[in-house]
Amino acid sequence: MNGIHDMGGMQGLGTIGYHASEPIFHEPWEGRVFALIRAMPVGSLRPYIERIPAAEYLRTSYYERWYTAFLTRLLEEGVVTRAEVERGRADPAAAKATPAITPAVARELLFRTPREEQDIALTPRFHVGERVHGRNIHPTTHTRMPRYTRGRTGVVERIRGVFNLPDREHGVGETTPQHVYLIRFPARELWGDDAPAHDALYIDMWEDYLERA
Amino acid sequence: MSQRHADHAHDHTEVPSEPALRVKALESLLVDKGLVDPAALDVLVDIYEHKVGPRHGAQVVARAWVDPAYKQRLLADGTAAIAGLGFSGGQGEKLTVVENTPAVHNVIVCTLCSCYPWPVLGLPPTWYKSSAYRSRTVMDPRGVLRELGLDLPDNVEVRVWDSNAASRYLVLPERPSGTESLSEADLVRLVTRDAMIGVAKVPAPREGGGA
Repeated sequence: MNGIHDMGGMQGLGTIGYHASEPIFHEPWEGRVFALIRAMPVGSLRPYIERIPAAEYLRTSYYERWYTAFLTRLLEEGVVTRAEVERGRADPAAAKATPAITPAVARELLFRTPREEQDIALTPRFHVGERVHGRNIHPTTHTRMPRYTRGRTGVVERIRGVFNLPDREHGVGETTPQHVYLIRFPARELWGDDAPAHDALYIDMWEDYLERA
Repeated sequence: MSQRHADHAHDHTEVPSEPALRVKALESLLVDKGLVDPAALDVLVDIYEHKVGPRHGAQVVARAWVDPAYKQRLLADGTAAIAGLGFSGGQGEKLTVVENTPAVHNVIVCTLCSCYPWPVLGLPPTWYKSSAYRSRTVMDPRGVLRELGLDLPDNVEVRVWDSNAASRYLVLPERPSGTESLSEADLVRLVTRDAMIGVAKVPAPREGGGA
């Protein structure tokens, strides 16, 4: 969706606020939110973060957004009820679960790399060196195609492999595995003639985001 | 004005912030339901506070500087070469290492979220997650880098890498001059997080120092 999270190329969004050094978690609750989400793999929270209204998104911090998205997903999937959240206690009538992530499993998570790439043999529609065009699409749900790439022409730099289209991962439709391509867009193609002539932007694009130029 | 004056901001009697209370309540609920084990949460916090971080990336960079065959493997398949040094885990499925040279400067960003190569850099700093860094770096990388203290000549090609999909990026910075006699361990200490994001260069060792 064309939400506030799709920030590439926007202006007027304040200062970077650079610090050479800062704590990993600024307050203990940030670490707890992070750990809760890692300990309870409920699926991607990004679509839930992107649904946060723009004004609230900009007002809240990174970990506040994760908290909001996590709680929303838990409520929508019926993992917890609103009444339980308000009381901070489980419904006594509800069955008690067994935690999926024990301390031993948590230690393994440090090394366990999730695998999203699909072992499916598909013929890539585009080849390295081919000129491609970002399609002019405006999905109303989750997408990984930033607005600034739409309608722009780039060149296939590398074929990444087969991945499920994230636009579908949260929808009801079937999974749609397809090739992902690393695309090089010249800076001038994206930002006009004031951009430096030799600079470029590199980004991964699913097949459905592209058409032949 | 309330009794919580600004100059008492660090008072120990300060009431907990609202997010702290809400998160604590949610944790209590999930523990009560048997969905999470608080001891596992302690482990996860400890891992991401103390066990992963830019020291991992610095080891990758230093190895690439001293071992040309490793560097070649690293640039060809970042994930495999980095796993070879023992670093893997969440946000590390497709690690792509991009090399800075006198002619090319790379910088990484995530415009849609705040994706970052956790296995080699740990969790991202707040400024990397800021709306300003996310929005401006793709459009005006040179302006952002200048603001962060790195002024690149016009003849250097700037490449911006937007981490929108499974790929996560690590910049392989240029090895500074005057480091020829340094050991790999000394080189590890020189490499900074910012140089591996691409918003800085690795500083040359100070006169008389480094060894």
